[in-house]
Amino acid sequence: MTLTLAGRFVRRSHWLLASAISLGLATPALAEWKSDDGTLEVRGFVDDTMIVRDEIGLTKQRVQGQLEFYKTLPASGMFSSFAIGGIVRASYDAAFDLNDDEFGNKAGGSLSYFMPGNPPFFSYITGGSPPFTPPTNIVYAGTFGPDGSGANGAIPLPGTLGTINSPGNPNQGLRFAAGDIYNYSDGGVMLATPVRPCDKDARGCLENYMDKDLNDLRYKEFNSDWDWLREFYIDTSIPTTDSGQELSLRIGRQQVVWGRTDLFRVLDVVNPMDFSRENLYAEFEDSRIPQWMINAEYRVGPTKWLEDLNFQLIYKIEDFRPHDLGQGGEPYAILGAGNLFRAMANCWDNGCTVGNFPGPGVAVDFPAHSIGIREVDLPNHTEIGGRIEGVWKGVGFSLNALYFYSQFPSLRGGIPTDDPFTPGVEAVFHPYDIAFDVEFPRLFMMGGSADWYSEAAKASFRIETSYTQDEEFADTSKPKLYSESDVFRAVFGFDRPTFIRFLNNDRAFLISGQIFYQRLLDHETYNVNSVGLPTFDKIGFMDWESNVLLTLLIQANYMNDRLTPQIITAFDTKAEAGVIGPSLEYKPNNNWVFKLALNLKWGSNHGAIPADDDRTANAFPPATCAPPLAMGGSPLCGAPYSSFGGPYGFEPLGRFRSGPIGTAYNEDEVQFSLRYQF
Amino acid sequence: MKTLLIAGMAAASLASFAASAEVSDQVIKNAFGLYDGGTLKAAGFEPGVKINKENADKFKDIMDPFTARYVKQGWFEIQTTPSFSLPQNANYIKQTKQNADKVSLTPDGMLANFTAGRPFPQEPNASDPQAGLKLMWNFQRSINAGDSETIHPFWWTFRNTKTGQTERQLRFEWHFLNWKHRVMFEPMPDIQPNPANIFRSIYSIVLEPFDLSNTQLLIHRYENDLQRDDGWLYLGFQRRVRRLAVGQITDAFLGTDAMIEDFEGYNGRLSDYKWTYKGTQNILMPYEKHDEQPVLDTEPAGDKDGFKFVKFGGQGNCFPQVTWQLRKSYIIEGNPKDPNHPLSKRLIFMDSESATLPVVLLYDKKGTPWKYFPICKSHSDHHLAKNKGVGVAIDDCALFFDEQAMHCTTLQFKSYINPEQNPSTQFNVQNLRKTGR
Repeated sequence: MTLTLAGRFVRRSHWLLASAISLGLATPALAEWKSDDGTLEVRGFVDDTMIVRDEIGLTKQRVQGQLEFYKTLPASGMFSSFAIGGIVRASYDAAFDLNDDEFGNKAGGSLSYFMPGNPPFFSYITGGSPPFTPPTNIVYAGTFGPDGSGANGAIPLPGTLGTINSPGNPNQGLRFAAGDIYNYSDGGVMLATPVRPCDKDARGCLENYMDKDLNDLRYKEFNSDWDWLREFYIDTSIPTTDSGQELSLRIGRQQVVWGRTDLFRVLDVVNPMDFSRENLYAEFEDSRIPQWMINAEYRVGPTKWLEDLNFQLIYKIEDFRPHDLGQGGEPYAILGAGNLFRAMANCWDNGCTVGNFPGPGVAVDFPAHSIGIREVDLPNHTEIGGRIEGVWKGVGFSLNALYFYSQFPSLRGGIPTDDPFTPGVEAVFHPYDIAFDVEFPRLFMMGGSADWYSEAAKASFRIETSYTQDEEFADTSKPKLYSESDVFRAVFGFDRPTFIRFLNNDRAFLISGQIFYQRLLDHETYNVNSVGLPTFDKIGFMDWESNVLLTLLIQANYMNDRLTPQIITAFDTKAEAGVIGPSLEYKPNNNWVFKLALNLKWGSNHGAIPADDDRTANAFPPATCAPPLAMGGSPLCGAPYSSFGGPYGFEPLGRFRSGPIGTAYNEDEVQFSLRYQF
Repeated sequence: MKTLLIAGMAAASLASFAASAEVSDQVIKNAFGLYDGGTLKAAGFEPGVKINKENADKFKDIMDPFTARYVKQGWFEIQTTPSFSLPQNANYIKQTKQNADKVSLTPDGMLANFTAGRPFPQEPNASDPQAGLKLMWNFQRSINAGDSETIHPFWWTFRNTKTGQTERQLRFEWHFLNWKHRVMFEPMPDIQPNPANIFRSIYSIVLEPFDLSNTQLLIHRYENDLQRDDGWLYLGFQRRVRRLAVGQITDAFLGTDAMIEDFEGYNGRLSDYKWTYKGTQNILMPYEKHDEQPVLDTEPAGDKDGFKFVKFGGQGNCFPQVTWQLRKSYIIEGNPKDPNHPLSKRLIFMDSESATLPVVLLYDKKGTPWKYFPICKSHSDHHLAKNKGVGVAIDDCALFFDEQAMHCTTLQFKSYINPEQNPSTQFNVQNLRKTGR
């Protein structure tokens, strides 16, 4: 954890702070605005957030404004209340202009795969009579396609017709897809990803999924989904009994919050999340993507046995929206999935050079339509859910069910591809080929939660569990490279206000901890491959069978809660990666809020955990048959078989093992924000 | 058979006796009619005198020790008026008369045979070791906020007592509801269903500033005083309800100078303290007629009813500028049973007529004066027109003053005793979600 830019940042922060305070003193205080008749309330804020990442520089310089309104209308007829509410948000993130060589139109560059060529090896494994153009640079074999001078060291496969370079796929605006987290020193697969906004460089952009242009990135809310209209809904209630029972309806774009957890979600999955906002670390309220829904609740209230009882049904009336994971080249791209997807999509569309393939020390040019991501299928069918919630003997509980689509993508193999080794063999299914469509599988989740207070512990506790059917995970043992699995998730958390008198005599520290558990119930790994040969490492599911994540929050308050130091930390036990976020918030008055924070990561694996990368699968027999089998004339070479599990590399599946914390290992940041609220 | 018949007759007779037993008129008059004969008197004191640092020593015997010291230091002045009755709700008095003689304390200090009204209207007996606890039960079952009360708007202002600087101002809406022992509004005596046997609920929502807006608090106090309250907090920035660890009621509330335990003078389980009756004394209390106050504040302005709030002034603008009057008070010392409690002593001056707690003094662990909580109460006929005749001493202003930190939180109320704005449906967890946006 080093912060070479911290000093410069702090100096700049001081200037900003002084300016803001001066401005604040000079600015008349504003409060929530209310109409004369009291039926319309308007409030909001304007803020500026600056985030600087170690060795990268500015990752966010966002000016943002938000207005919240709520208009109460006269009740009439069978309705006892009627109101319209909404939130409008607009922002401009100057990081894409101020740091455009990292995240804007000048991002990326040309790449070289610094590895010695090995044409004899490659010609050998493909039959001993190379039909391929030998590398022109025998010292450093690979570059991403010839740059016009013919200095291409990568070995072009036959389908590339000698070159993958074309005006549409130049060696510029590229980065290694995992270069931010992984140095490839273990010989893992190397992929290059375009990183410029999609209007500048359309390569690898996935339509309607990861296809943001520069304005989409800079002006986040002004997109085709009208995200500037963050929430807009009608509230109404219909009394059903004299004792206060009522049917309550909220119809419109809204957030529906189900969970009781912080930082990670178990049941709170109704709305997708915008992880491109600030990875995991934005407040859920800000990073949830509101959706158009009908939200009906029947409020029973107290009954003979229950202190409170409520039934809820939700029905989404908007097209499916997945999580925004951030796209290739975006500063916040959780798991690095955006980079991987864009690299793979470019491979599919244009062909690409893959380093350390088929083994360490070799780079090859794949033709288009042989590996990569072909397309994204966004589903458009019903999503519906329900919840029963109540309080029994002081214990709050809920039972939840949701029939929905996974908001995380699944990479489904099995699509028809071209055999890069055999021109003419086109558009056929090649088992174990790393060629995918992005799908969002249909899921059914059921779960429940409870919270209660323990006098003995002087703490409140919460549990939350979910059981989800048919989630999809990468599985290198399967011909289509994915499997379904039911998943059990649970969290146990506590909140305990605790006095630490020598630090603060008047105000308790809030200590809040959570333990998250996830288990893939159909997880399978194998020590033999699909033809029964022993593997070097385990193949199958590359995600963990079970994992535990821990979070801890300690929050203090001084100066009558106007000065709030806080530390939040999280640790992924399997990835052995953690994050700690100390922060200090100061509110000099009702209108101004200043916040200075760090976000620091650590990890025993430097964040990158190898996984089976499928290199040793025989996806294009016999060309990709393992050398020992090929040399021995094994008949197994004539048919596809699954991976041998080695060599392992980080790309592409290691990122799912490293998790959102581990993959952000190098994203140490200093954050400063100031807000004027009213 | 004959034995059974006699036993049955005896039982019927006892029941009849019990049903007909009432508290004497003298006890009721002593408890609720003290001021019917005119104002209270004290040697050298004439109502109408202004007490300030020059004459504070002369009147120190009719002031609590903190008030006397602050006035002597010149931090604020007290304008006095004649004493007057704050008549309590007629049905509350009637229920007291009908039921109080049956009420007793169980060995663990809980109420037994209580229906409604004041449990122990009799004059406290210094030789009764439970006299302090009985007085606190009178407070717990008082109509401090009627059967239900709305306070909206409710301004809490953070002030630096040294400089007078206003640091933060919170605008709240508060609601109170008695589920049981109701005497004013139907249904009486209890709201049903009430499976958890809740005695009283408090609901509040923060309306300003923005960073706290939509924060909502719900507290259920159970009929069984040994049972810990339950509490829920809706956090606007999380859009979800968070279960409160309600055991930590000595935590400062949202950064104010008040602990949750301090609300209304004492907001906790009676069983958490040892209560000792320390005597009866006529002292000055901030009981007043809102519409006859010499000064009212022009801020916060813009109330749709034209209501003006109590003005604060004096040192750091921390002290309420209301009139005070001589009141008969019971002095109760509360000592926390929890050795980790930050207080050594909660010294309460209870108003004998209303059994409310208009002056509360807190001493820290070392026994040093720490916090000062006067609560102003207005005659209900001299407040909002819609409060006329409700028979409740109306919450009008309050001060939480931390003299060690020289910091205060001032509270300005617009209180309204009513059932319409306090339906029981407002006091459940779902309402937090419904109201939160």
